[in-house]
Amino acid sequence: MGLNNRILSIFLGSGLLLCLTIFLTSYANNVRLPGNHEGYEPVQPISYSHRLHAGELQIPCLHCHSDAGRSRNAGIPTVETCMNCHRFVTAPIVDVKAEDQRAEKSGEKPRRIISAELKKLYDAAGMNPELRPDPGKTPQPVAWVKVHRLPDFAYFNHGAHVSAGVECQACHGAIETMERVRQVSDLSMGWCVNCHRGSNAQGVNGRAVAAPTDCTGCHF
Amino acid sequence: MPFPTPVPTIAARDPAPAPQRGFDRRSFLKAAGFTFAGTVLAGCEKGAVEKAIPFLVKPEEVTPGTATWYASTCGGCSAGCGILIKNRDGRPIKIEGNPAHPLSKGGLCATGQAMVLSLYDSRRLREPRISGQTAAWDAVDRTIAAKLAETRDGAKGVRILTGSGAGATTLAAIRSFSAAFPDTRHVVYEPLSIAALADAHEQCYGRRIVPHYRFDRASVIVSFDADFLGTWISPVEFTSDYRAGRSPEGPSRAMSHHVQIESRMSLTGSNADARIVVRPDSMVGLLGGLAYYVAKETGAGPAVFASPAAPSPRTASGSPDAEDAMNLLPLLARRLAAAGRKGLVVCGVNGIACQALAASINDMLGNAGVTVELERPTSSRTDNDRETQDLLAELDAGTIGMLVVHGVNPVYDHPRGGVFSAAMKKAGLTVVFAQHEDETAEHADIILPKGHPLEEWDDAEPVAGVVSVRQPAIAPFGNSRSLAECLLAWTGERTGAREAIRRAWKSAVFPRQNAEADFETFWNASVHEGYAVVDPVPSGHHSFDASVVPQLPAGDRKNPGAGADSSSGEGFMIEMYPTVALLDGRHAHNPWLQELPDPVTKVVWDNYASVSPRTGKRLAVEEGDVIRIETGVHILELPAVIQPGQHDDVISVALGYGRKGTDRFTSVGPEWFEAVPTVEPGETVGRNMAPMREIRGNYVSSYRGGVSVTRTGRVRTIASTQIHHSLHVPEHLAPKNAERRPIVQETSLAAYTESPGAGRFETHKVVSMWPDEHRFTKHRWFMSIDLTACTGCSACVVGCQAENNIPVVGKDEVYRNRELTWLRIDRYYTEEEDGVSVAHQPMLCQHCEHAPCETVCPVLATVHSEEGLNQQVYNRCVGTRYCSNNCPYKVRRFNWFDYSRGDDMGRLVLNPDVVVRERGIMEKCSFCVQRIQEGKIRAKQEGRTVKDGEISPACEQSCPAQAIVFGDLNDPASRISASRKHPRFYRVLEEIGVEPSVGYLTLVRNLPEGDGRNG
Repeated sequence: MGLNNRILSIFLGSGLLLCLTIFLTSYANNVRLPGNHEGYEPVQPISYSHRLHAGELQIPCLHCHSDAGRSRNAGIPTVETCMNCHRFVTAPIVDVKAEDQRAEKSGEKPRRIISAELKKLYDAAGMNPELRPDPGKTPQPVAWVKVHRLPDFAYFNHGAHVSAGVECQACHGAIETMERVRQVSDLSMGWCVNCHRGSNAQGVNGRAVAAPTDCTGCHF
Repeated sequence: MPFPTPVPTIAARDPAPAPQRGFDRRSFLKAAGFTFAGTVLAGCEKGAVEKAIPFLVKPEEVTPGTATWYASTCGGCSAGCGILIKNRDGRPIKIEGNPAHPLSKGGLCATGQAMVLSLYDSRRLREPRISGQTAAWDAVDRTIAAKLAETRDGAKGVRILTGSGAGATTLAAIRSFSAAFPDTRHVVYEPLSIAALADAHEQCYGRRIVPHYRFDRASVIVSFDADFLGTWISPVEFTSDYRAGRSPEGPSRAMSHHVQIESRMSLTGSNADARIVVRPDSMVGLLGGLAYYVAKETGAGPAVFASPAAPSPRTASGSPDAEDAMNLLPLLARRLAAAGRKGLVVCGVNGIACQALAASINDMLGNAGVTVELERPTSSRTDNDRETQDLLAELDAGTIGMLVVHGVNPVYDHPRGGVFSAAMKKAGLTVVFAQHEDETAEHADIILPKGHPLEEWDDAEPVAGVVSVRQPAIAPFGNSRSLAECLLAWTGERTGAREAIRRAWKSAVFPRQNAEADFETFWNASVHEGYAVVDPVPSGHHSFDASVVPQLPAGDRKNPGAGADSSSGEGFMIEMYPTVALLDGRHAHNPWLQELPDPVTKVVWDNYASVSPRTGKRLAVEEGDVIRIETGVHILELPAVIQPGQHDDVISVALGYGRKGTDRFTSVGPEWFEAVPTVEPGETVGRNMAPMREIRGNYVSSYRGGVSVTRTGRVRTIASTQIHHSLHVPEHLAPKNAERRPIVQETSLAAYTESPGAGRFETHKVVSMWPDEHRFTKHRWFMSIDLTACTGCSACVVGCQAENNIPVVGKDEVYRNRELTWLRIDRYYTEEEDGVSVAHQPMLCQHCEHAPCETVCPVLATVHSEEGLNQQVYNRCVGTRYCSNNCPYKVRRFNWFDYSRGDDMGRLVLNPDVVVRERGIMEKCSFCVQRIQEGKIRAKQEGRTVKDGEISPACEQSCPAQAIVFGDLNDPASRISASRKHPRFYRVLEEIGVEPSVGYLTLVRNLPEGDGRNG
């Protein structure tokens, strides 16, 4: 009796351990934990860096999330939007410079360097390495993983907040420092309402605002 | 011995039980623990990961999360109202009236609003079919081209059968098709035909036109069975005009006097100031009598009217009959004559004698150009019953090489539909454009998918001079092509529908205006606005030809009910009428419309036989009793509904039911063990009444005589949304002669002119137990509904349903009083000495300041907002239903189930700004808070305050009569502030002190002195 059970226990235990290991190593960052998902930081299909674009290069948020000022959704930039710049910028400047130096040394014409991440973008746009439309590829939008998610019974309107002067960072945290986007705030109702109450008392950036504190401000 | 064989025992069968092996309790728990932990981990892993997928290339005009609006033309019927289509993320989710449209003026009927749902009908045809096999358009074109060549060579004809309302482009395409195939004729078939009206004008005025009636200019309206507020010609426009002509306020108090002469209680009749209830076959006699008296009053009529009418009315059961009606005619004639050019007679009877008499009365009144516009006719209506009959004969004779049927379903709705289906077989080739494989399409050789009006390019000219564009708001779901596109393709010309319209407009519409010099500018402006006003093509009619009148059968004029038609004979008459929702049955696949309560009977999901209370008593028939109706040709069994205001000799039944394929609604409601299917599998919703109609003198008549009615003894469930029909307290609850409840407060124009407080019940002094509970410092939303304006048309009900994701629950749930519509229209009958009067009252959440629902909610799921809204918070609600119990207005709705919102395609109609409620949640009218928030956010973004009228709930927006006013009471200049101070303003159940935020303006009827109400 004892032996059978021990074998079973070891079998199940090791199975569980295996699960845990696989889970912790490869999927840890994709986990949406029960609760408010604070700290959720999923791996994205393209490792786009907000630190580089919004921090280092100081591109304004609304440059890419152009609907944030006027729509309920902030809008995730389309492949076409990315291509506005990345038609020309195909790799990190250090790699391009290195290639230039190499080319200079060897007397060749510098080759076009395409970084591994941007190749994914060009694939999505259905382009070949020469950045020409590739008839063999079907353009496919990039399936980004949603980080900030509100339940369906909560209505949130980016436009109302941006036009009231609320900084993006007030909810999204110091996004310009994030290599990969992480949910910083817990996005709970208490957190929302506290901010609304505070804003009504103190205003936003010195401007008086009328932030609703009624249930139907968000729930309808 | 009872048991000869010994019963074996278990021990005997298993003499040596094996030693116990396997798990003990401890091991089981361990294993269970591991499994559970594993499951939890697996559950955590990727469960809630959601993808956010942007456009690849964003269309310029689309902003995800915001609505785009397109102006277009409604295709629900041939009235061609102006609409605005709300598009969210590429899909139409709502249709609203276009406020700038010169005819419909921002209103839209229930049918028009429900059109958006039928767009997402997954059973619509997607691909062309040849002999039942899916085929490509190329193959279709080849087959048809070959057949057309054969037809031309064989000297056979081509007939194109369409409904009314074809625009300039389709007509131009038919013309160029006719040029290529000489023996081509375009036949216009309309099941709800007004062909006699057009033919009468051809006789009297020399042109086959349907005049444009102006109810806004009329001061006396006499309607002979024309349901102009419900289904006749252009109900939205007529409702708007009717309301404009009926304001009890203003210096002139220009309120028209409306007399309805009819045999059943129609929506229009329920709004009339006076009703005269007669048999349908008395109409022609009454019109003759009226013509005689009007001629006498005005002295203008032709000599033929000089002989006095000699009434010999037929009475079958001692009901108010034609003789009584005849006695009212001199009074009616006096009123009409006094109104003169502002008098108006309309007639909905599809018979030439009636229509010619109505036209002659209008001519005697001299109202041409005022209330009857002949220069600017209703050009959309070209129904022709005679030609439809001719077509049937031609088909039968086998002289037709090809028959093209577009958008009509004659096999279903023509009185001789059976003959039609047989005759279709004799045509060389039948091509049917249909949205579903309907009764006609199933007999066709080639079925072509007809596009939905929201996915097609088309145009219309509802009234001469108002041209209107229909533009697609979404790419077609199926592989459809418009009729014009096909006809051009079959003549060898490949032109897209849009290009065809532009070409037709450039040649036929653009030259009719001189506001724009450049066609592109004109075209762009027209598409942007949805319509253009151009010069009407002169109708070219001559003045009234009095020589027509003596040709009318003399008996028609003098003897009500005599010799006019085959309908005479003792016994009952049966009258078939279109309903506001389904019309002739073309909308039978739309569940919103199937579940829309009939404006008068409040019955859903069925057609039924309306019988008068007296007849019901005589036949011992109660509501729901199945009666057998025999005409000599047909036998039909239908459940009875007791209908006050109905003629005792007349049974009326709605058309539009019994459509093929409506058994799809078998499982429309929730599935649970006591569920009763809305329709039995293999059955249809209701019964088809079209074959009961008679063809009388070339016209499809809506009634038939010589009908016998018997009880069957069986009972059929009737689902109705209203069970109490009177404002009086029921006898078992109150002492005899209990007072009428002040829920609907009404008065007459004369009394109201004398005292603004007329009809108002004494207000109670209410002591508040909640002093100063709410201080509304920002906004104070408030609504008022003018009962004088409201006609009960039910446009608001469907508008609310579309806006707020309200599901359809099915017949059984409605029967259990579990319908979910947030807005209902209560209809009350008041029995009077000489008839019955009707009041319609929209009833929705009253957003009480001292709301009884709020105090009883144990979880604070319903609380008051600082803007005066009674908020229902779905995510807090636990479903105790205490609130609903405590609601004095009974406007709260409970989700007993997770109601189906249709299939994957049907769900595309859902409004993404409104939560889809789940089981166990209470819901109710929110004053369209999503629209309030949207309006407030827009104002904030533009750095201004909210403008009055900018925020409009779906019901207010949709109302063709503009009966509903919504706004901010804190804005002293707002319309609602004015309405709140109006002398007619009152609130329902004001005496209980709940301080509702919805008020009503009293119902004023224009009852001239000494006038009784007949019927």
